Formats: sequence, C-alpha cells, structure tokens
Amino acid sequence: MNNVLALAGVVIKELYRRKDFYVLFILTALITMVLGSVKFFNDDRIVRYLKDACLLLIWISSLVIAVTTTARQLPAERESRTIFPLLAKPVSRAQLIAGKFLGCWLACGLALIVFYFFFGVITASREHAWPLGVYFQALWLHWICLGIVVALVLLGSVVFTAPSSNATICFIIVVGIMFCGGHLNGVAVHMGGLSGNILYAVYYSIPHLEWYDVRDFVIHDWGVISWAAWAGATLYGLLYCAFLLGAAWLVFRRKTLTV
Amino acid sequence: MMRLALLLVFVCCFTLATQLAPVFASLQAKGGRSGSPLLVLLGDSRRLFANQFFVMADVYFHSGYYPTIFDARKKEGPSHLDVAEQEEGDTAKSGRKVLEDDEKFMGTPRDWIERFGRNFFPSVHTHLQGESAREIMPWLKLSAEMDPHRINTYVTTSYWLRTRLDKAGEAEQFLRQGLRANPDSHEILLELGRVCFYNKNNPQVARSLWELALQKWRQQDQAGENPDPHVRQEILGELVRDDQQSGNLKQLLADLQELEKATPMKGTLDKEIQDVKARLAH
Repeated sequence: MNNVLALAGVVIKELYRRKDFYVLFILTALITMVLGSVKFFNDDRIVRYLKDACLLLIWISSLVIAVTTTARQLPAERESRTIFPLLAKPVSRAQLIAGKFLGCWLACGLALIVFYFFFGVITASREHAWPLGVYFQALWLHWICLGIVVALVLLGSVVFTAPSSNATICFIIVVGIMFCGGHLNGVAVHMGGLSGNILYAVYYSIPHLEWYDVRDFVIHDWGVISWAAWAGATLYGLLYCAFLLGAAWLVFRRKTLTV
Repeated sequence: MMRLALLLVFVCCFTLATQLAPVFASLQAKGGRSGSPLLVLLGDSRRLFANQFFVMADVYFHSGYYPTIFDARKKEGPSHLDVAEQEEGDTAKSGRKVLEDDEKFMGTPRDWIERFGRNFFPSVHTHLQGESAREIMPWLKLSAEMDPHRINTYVTTSYWLRTRLDKAGEAEQFLRQGLRANPDSHEILLELGRVCFYNKNNPQVARSLWELALQKWRQQDQAGENPDPHVRQEILGELVRDDQQSGNLKQLLADLQELEKATPMKGTLDKEIQDVKARLAH
C-alpha cells in the first residue's frame, strides 16, 4: 500500500508542477467572469446561464486534465526508462497500475475541489445561497466519472503505443458515451434483428458515464438526487474502475517494456 | 537604409489606414450589419444558432426537462414558450393539449439502466413560475442577436418581460429594436401596442400602433404574402377592446363588423353587434 501511495504522491506533485491545470482554471474563470459581466434587460439576478456555462467549462477542463495527465503516465516512464528502476524497487506491475490510477484520480479530485469552489463562489454572488448537498453530490459523481475515465485511459495506455492516439480515442469514447450512451437501447429497439441485439449488448457493456452528469440538477435548482441512486451510481462506478484496472493489469503484466 | 525602408513601410500602412477606415465604416453602415466579430464570423449560419437558442429558452422554461434528438416527438408543435403565451387567450385549451401530449415523451423505461438513469436528470414536467421566468431571457436575447429577422423572438420576449417580469420599458425597447430590423412586421406592432395599452396606460398610442399593424397586414395580404389570419383577428380584438374602453360606439360597431368577417366562427359576435346597434339608435 505504501508503494501505491508513494507513486500516487508523485503523480499529484506532477499535476501542480505542470501548467495544464492553471491554464484551464484561469481560462474557465476568465470566460465565466466575462459572461457574468453581461447584463440582460437590466436584470442582475439572472444566473442559470452562468451556472450552465461555468459547469460546462468545468466538465471540459476536468476531462482534459484527466485524459492528458493519465495518458502520459506509463509511456513517459517507459520512454525515459525510469520504469525499470521503479519496477526493481520492488514495485509490482499491479502496484504501478494502482499507484498511477490513484494518483491521477486524486489529482483530478483536487482540481475538482478548486473548480467547484470557484463555481460556488460565482453562484453565491448572485443567488446568495450555498446548496451544499447538491454541490457535494455533483462533485462526487463527477469525481467517480473521472475515476472511470482515468481507468479507461490507463487501459488505453497499455494497449496503444502513442499517448496522443490513446488520448484522442479515449476522448471520442467518453464524449460519445456521454451524448449517446443512454439512448442506445432506443436505437437498438428501432433497428431490431441481429444488429439491434448487438447494439443492446453494447448498451449494457459500456460504462454509463451520462449518469454522473447531474448539471441540470445544479443549474435548475432541482435539489438533491435520491441518496440511494447516488450510492448506486458510486458502487457502479467503483466496480467499473476495478474492472478496467484489472484489464489494464492483465495486459500490462505480460507486456515487454523495452521501447 | 534598412531603418529608412521600415519607416517608409510604416508610413504607408498609416496612410492606408486613414484612407481605408472610413471606407469600411461606410460599407458596414450600408449593409446594415453589426460589427460584432461573432456575427461576422458566423455569417448566415447564425440563423441556425438563433433557432437553437430559442429552443434553449424553452429548455430553461422547463428547467431542463426536454426531449433530446433521440426522444420521439409525435409532431412538430409550437414551442411551449408560445403555448404558455397563448394560455391567456382563447387557445388555452389547445395549448394545454400540446403540453399533455408531450408530457409522455420519455415513455416507460425499457430496462433497469434507463430506469436507474432517470434519477440523474430532470424527469418531471414543470414550467418556470413568476419572476423565475427571467432565466430564459439570455437565450431569447441571443436568439434575436443571431437572427434579427426572427419576429417570434421579439414578440415572445416582450410577452415575458411585460407580463411576468414587470419590465414594460425593456419590452418596448426590445420591440423597437425588432421593428428597426423588421419595419413591416404587424406582429411586432401588435405587441408594441399591447405594451402601450396594458402596461403604459397609453391607449391613444396603442390604437395608432394597432391601426398601423392592421394596415401592414392588409398590405401584405394584397401583395399575396399570406400573413397569418389569426394575427388579424388579434389586432381587431385589441381594437374592439380599446373601443369598449373609450366608449366610441360608432368605431366599436365598425371594428366588430370587421372582426365578424375575419373570425372563422361566424355568428359569435351577432349579439354584441346588435347590442351596439341598439345603443347607437338610442
């Protein structure tokens, strides 16, 4: 466990040493504040468009951070050959995968806390309210979603050779699932036949990332989601992370590490 | 030598700028185009965005409960923003029917994933109430910016501004902006008259605007542009209301007779016309 935590610590240090997070945060803050300075029909209590834009930027930024940070972890270690002394410590390959995952996931969590705090401040400046329960659920589900994404990208980094192709493919998969994942069953029913059955199987197999996007609840003040559903989504997400990490370890344990 | 050449190039640039700046300014003014970089960048495709932003206003009106492209919609109906606007008038029943039809767009869940997934997005049909309707305003404003010739945007925005947000001044300003872009729009003139009549307590100006609206409607009808006959009925209805308020019986009779001709339900105004005739005879 100590080895895993030590590896995770290195990844977290990498996040705050690199400029990616700062650039994305400043960009998010800047765009949100410019949008917030616009007045529509002399009404300064209009807030939902601002919450919408800010949360969208937070989702985009967090996905960029999660995918790009994770995609370069293993290839960078292999390229600089630091993976050999690392594995000779002794750190097992399973611990390496777990440490990298934990580091990237925690780093994303830290970034999310900063983003959501900014979102809360901006919203409170107009709404004069802190719906902490809703914010906590939104942040938590967002973090679980990023956990699945990080695990998926780690699996991709042991399958694909270049980090750029891995990042691009993972982006397409994640965005595709978020937009269409929940509707594949309807399409499958309309298609019918063998292709419909195959699509239905795909629908059951993919991680349903769209569940974790609860922006509408935050934007339109719907209040907290059922805690049972929240717990169910958390369990589903953690199981999916375990599955993807297990698959990554299975591929990685037999992989030759020479470049 | 090099420095002199650079200086010469700079002087040329400066001179050209002083010559070209007024030319471009006059070109923009002639074309009636806004200098907004976003509009210049988008070109005519901005009309697509205008429709999308109007839909976004409808999404906000339903607090995020809205069918996606994957959800079956039975038929193309009016936006709920328009439907809610109509609820004040005679079409209230048909408006509510559309709401009821659309309410079941999600249907029953096909499997446990879909059932569970419904916990994570709004799945109850609601409308923004009272002043919270202000949240749709940014999208309507953007829609008008994107397509200044989309008349429905101006009329809908004005309706919400004057009835829910108590912002008749802003509604009038927005309608006048729409009228500058669409000088022949009888719909905008009708709504502008309503602002003056119901919110600014200025029936004389309202009447002039409605008469102008009727005149524009007739011109478009004669030109074969097929203007919406329902708008003509609405204009005449407002004129009748003004006549009733001012007590001008002669004008009331004339307007009622014209409304009788315009309405598809013949005979509904007979009693009122007879009543006015009797009052005139006394």
